[in-house]
Amino acid sequence: MTTIIQAKQLSFSYGKHQVLDKLDLTIKTGEIIGLIGENGAGKTTLLNLLLGVRTADSGELTVFDQTPGSALAKQKIGSMLQGDMAIRGVTVTELLTMAATNYPAPLSAATLITTLDLTAFAQQQLTALSGGQLRRVTFALALISNPDLLFLDEPTVGMDTNAQQAFWQRIQVLKAQGKAVIITSHYLPEIEQVADRILLLQDGRFAFQGTFATLQQRYQQVVITFQTALPGSTFDHLAGVTAVTGRHQTIKISSEDRDATLQALVPYLAQLQQVTINRESLSEIFVQLTKGAKA
Amino acid sequence: MNTLMAQLKFDGRRLILRNFSFQFFSILMPAGFYLLFTKVMVSGAVPMRFNLQYMASMIVYSGTINALFGIPQILMHDREQGLLQWLQLTPTGVKTYYLSIGLWSMVMNALAIVVLGGLAVVFNQVSLTVGQWATIVGIALIGQLPTMLIGVLVSFINRAETLSVVSNLITFPMAIISGLWWPMAMLPSWLQPIGKLMPTYFVNNWLGAVATHATLNATTVIGVVGWIGLLTIIVVGGTRQLLKRGDGVVKA
Repeated sequence: MTTIIQAKQLSFSYGKHQVLDKLDLTIKTGEIIGLIGENGAGKTTLLNLLLGVRTADSGELTVFDQTPGSALAKQKIGSMLQGDMAIRGVTVTELLTMAATNYPAPLSAATLITTLDLTAFAQQQLTALSGGQLRRVTFALALISNPDLLFLDEPTVGMDTNAQQAFWQRIQVLKAQGKAVIITSHYLPEIEQVADRILLLQDGRFAFQGTFATLQQRYQQVVITFQTALPGSTFDHLAGVTAVTGRHQTIKISSEDRDATLQALVPYLAQLQQVTINRESLSEIFVQLTKGAKA
Repeated sequence: MNTLMAQLKFDGRRLILRNFSFQFFSILMPAGFYLLFTKVMVSGAVPMRFNLQYMASMIVYSGTINALFGIPQILMHDREQGLLQWLQLTPTGVKTYYLSIGLWSMVMNALAIVVLGGLAVVFNQVSLTVGQWATIVGIALIGQLPTMLIGVLVSFINRAETLSVVSNLITFPMAIISGLWWPMAMLPSWLQPIGKLMPTYFVNNWLGAVATHATLNATTVIGVVGWIGLLTIIVVGGTRQLLKRGDGVVKA
């Protein structure tokens, strides 16, 4: 695999506010990266640096061995940003045809319309499309340059289930072709399913870089769910318990030490029903981690 | 060149062919006003001088509407919808986009001249030399610059509602007090000196002088050039400040 993005000790600040603090990052061909973090964690700034819209205060950053923002780097990057692209007075085909002329070796509008199944509304004006259809058009725009690196920001917002499935299948095809994909999304279950690696930004630093499995192992959080007539407070101080939530007699315990917590639950077993034990999802780990940072 | 041609084709459709707002407010409305005040709501013979002067006024009015309503709305719409962001991240960047908008803006103004000039010739038997028509086109295009620059400043407003209110607050008072709708002599005496400082007043005067063979006052030309210079400084300075304060193009 070839390195596409290489960052060493990358820092950026707005005045006295340190937004990114000595980040090291390597992204290679064929990787799907999930970039997550709370609002204000530095995701926007990092993307702007990678796209060459902003320049780092210190550190090194190359994208395709080029300075970010150079014409050569721009040719190889496709971006699906948050704008709706509901441009008045033009059709899908007209937008894609114009967009293609901004790149030296683009895919044709017709090819993308067929590949991404846009034919049904290709001749419709953009303002007549639904939110999900517009996201699909924005995805087509991101692919028009036939890029080797894709930035996807909240890519499936507004898409129906079928469109979402088709979208993630297309991402897997792109991955198989050796394209790298960086996804930022607040919808973490998707990131959990598709990302090869997760980058968790917290206060300008990577709180975690690695696979989801590693993240689960490192934080070893499990969720034990059961039904009981006992009040939730009964379980607050059991060994390993980090959080107890409950509603209508269904109690959910988060534990950082599964064995210890299960051992502590033994005296109550007669009063517990439908016990299930699950690893925490990315969303739950994310909440734990960010809550921990604030505490 | 291919990129510029594609951008021009793209913008031509949405700025003119499928832009009802432009067709109505910048073409049909000034044309309607022109016929109304030179053919319908008149008693007796209308002096040829008035026919010419009012044609000039409506040309300036059409350009002002376009510069302060049409173009800023389009610039803001493109920014809101993410088109500008997307173009900024391409190897071509946004220069072609702005060049295309600028060129179409001139074509839009030229269209207004053709329509209003055509009406003046057909309905009011206005007769000007080819040289006069060419001069009118030239002055109208140069004269559009001050209002276009104001339009660029207005387009920096983030909210569509605010932009619309500000455009209204600038366009209509400026049009009225600079004598585009009716002669300045009809305005209160305290308002006339203010009206005579407006960019639209200078451009209207200049066009009127060419159309009616009147003597061109040097103050008129100085007024237009002065406004262009002043507004260019403000727009360039303002843009730099905005770029400094901006948060890049991506919001994640």
